[in-house]
Amino acid sequence: MANKKVSKKDIASLLEQWRQQFAVFAPSRESGVAAFAEWDGKDVSFLDWYRNTVVPPKASFLPPMEEMFRFEKGTEGYNIKPRPEEENKRLLFGVRPCDARAIAIVDMTFKDAYQDPYYLSKRNNTLLVGLSCTNPCESCFCTSMGTGPAESADVDLMLVDIGDEFLIEEVTDKGKELTRDLKEATEEDEAKAEQSKKAAYDRVTRKLNTEGIKDRLLASFDDQGFWEKTAAKCISCGICTLLCPTCYCFDISDEMVKQEGTRFRSWDSCGFPNYTKMPMENPRQEKWRRVRQKVCHKYEFYPMTFDVVACTGCGRCVRLCPVNWDITQVIESVPDKTGVNK
Amino acid sequence: MTVADTRFFAQGNVYLPHIAVIEKIVEETPGVRTFHFNLKDEKLREEFTFASGQFAQYSVLGVGEAPFCISSSPTRPDHLEFAVQKVGKVTNALHRLGVGSEIGFRGPYGNSFPLDYLKGKNLVFVGGGIGLAPLRSLIWNVLDNRDIYNKVDIVYGARTPTDLCFKYDLEAWDKDKTVNMVTTVDRGDDSWKGKVGVVPKILEEVAPSARESAAIVCGPPVMIRFTFPVLEKLGFAPEQMLTTLEKRMKCGIGKCGRCNIGNIYVCRDGPVFSYAQIKDFVSSEY
Repeated sequence: MANKKVSKKDIASLLEQWRQQFAVFAPSRESGVAAFAEWDGKDVSFLDWYRNTVVPPKASFLPPMEEMFRFEKGTEGYNIKPRPEEENKRLLFGVRPCDARAIAIVDMTFKDAYQDPYYLSKRNNTLLVGLSCTNPCESCFCTSMGTGPAESADVDLMLVDIGDEFLIEEVTDKGKELTRDLKEATEEDEAKAEQSKKAAYDRVTRKLNTEGIKDRLLASFDDQGFWEKTAAKCISCGICTLLCPTCYCFDISDEMVKQEGTRFRSWDSCGFPNYTKMPMENPRQEKWRRVRQKVCHKYEFYPMTFDVVACTGCGRCVRLCPVNWDITQVIESVPDKTGVNK
Repeated sequence: MTVADTRFFAQGNVYLPHIAVIEKIVEETPGVRTFHFNLKDEKLREEFTFASGQFAQYSVLGVGEAPFCISSSPTRPDHLEFAVQKVGKVTNALHRLGVGSEIGFRGPYGNSFPLDYLKGKNLVFVGGGIGLAPLRSLIWNVLDNRDIYNKVDIVYGARTPTDLCFKYDLEAWDKDKTVNMVTTVDRGDDSWKGKVGVVPKILEEVAPSARESAAIVCGPPVMIRFTFPVLEKLGFAPEQMLTTLEKRMKCGIGKCGRCNIGNIYVCRDGPVFSYAQIKDFVSSEY
């Protein structure tokens, strides 16, 4: 099957064409930080400045704050008012492969056992159009985490930068329907794409050896000294979890004004002491326990449950941490006690 | 153990509560009340089923939601019960409610006590304080089907005589000749004639045999932590020790993230566990 291609100067008209069918979301700096936002129909300047968004695209399915339902108190008692179903078809344009992988990882939790209606109603109606990286950050380590700057496994379409044009890999049938009117790529284009991919892979210089990490963490779970050292400079700000593309923890709260109320959910973080606090005790009151939870959830517990490490090497936690806490250094420094009897 | 049968509320939006009405309130201790309630919708009320050990999410709408086990037995389906200690925002709001008040209810969630495994065995119930609530659901379940279980020992304690919950149950079990009921308090008062001593210590004195037995333990974490070693000393294997755990929860269905012990979510994989399942993490996370 031949791949398709599109000229960079035709991206705006391609997005416009897709906008007839979908609400199109693309990287934007409108809110002050780079995040996916509904495309305004004109601006494609993100093609120049965009390396990755600060806010990961998980926010499109699990928004920072989201209404779950409303309720009102009347003379006959309470009345629960469910939210209308999401029917809006959406397309995210420009998703990086690490973040697409992260969405696939978060899907596992929201599909597991009980279906999460808020997440899945949006997720099931959304197509992902990936955009390969040409300029990975120093903090990126995707090639160590089962993905890479041009990996197409988790998107519907994958755009690979080949100079003045993008080569388009049609990954899913749904994706294929979007490119029907586009020209086929030539052999020369394919060769350029291979070159471009290789160059990008070579530019991801940060490497992380994750071999046996699940077992190493399990064996070091009770090594309080190691965890205290690891947590020493953390200030529990939560940014590495809130903006992690595979973190999905949320809080649920009520708000009521007079007789009308709303239940909503909002991002939460295992870095916050209140996260596990019960009135009589708190199993993760100490900071080192919370840092251990964050690390082990991604590299030990998630693999135990879903057979996949819940980290895609996007590098956000490394880039955004105010005290330069670095997950790759932590993982490298986990003592190897797997051969020692506990 | 796996996620329990979800037929009842699995259709549609799992987060939407159903309205339930409080029918009776029992003052257990100065800080603990038991609420008797029924679902408002008659059809739901008839269809509703649960198993001993399962929990639900209860809301005071406008204040918030909190998880509590269903403390009544499915063998007595006339109404449902849950017991609440006044300790936080939602529990304080619950304690302000009166008979006829409406609450939000969603569930049942989680797994339940393994009745097939317990069948034919000697059962040792070890409870502390309000931790008797989930055990009580199972105890009445067992006593209502008395023939299919063997000996029943109950060791229950609280800090002081005033803190003993479900005193009417303790009395009934004490009178029941098929039950060995031992009640203890950490500190007695002038009128207290029962045992004095913490639950693990009294359990060691009662010394139930581990042969063909299962122990079901629930109470404050400190009591659970000291009870397992006593049971081990009595010869109980980790598989023979069951407990039901409590954690801060928001969703109740394995999504919101906070109730984990290692890779286990208490809401999704529990709340009922054997000691064998949790002992690797117990030292540091419980």
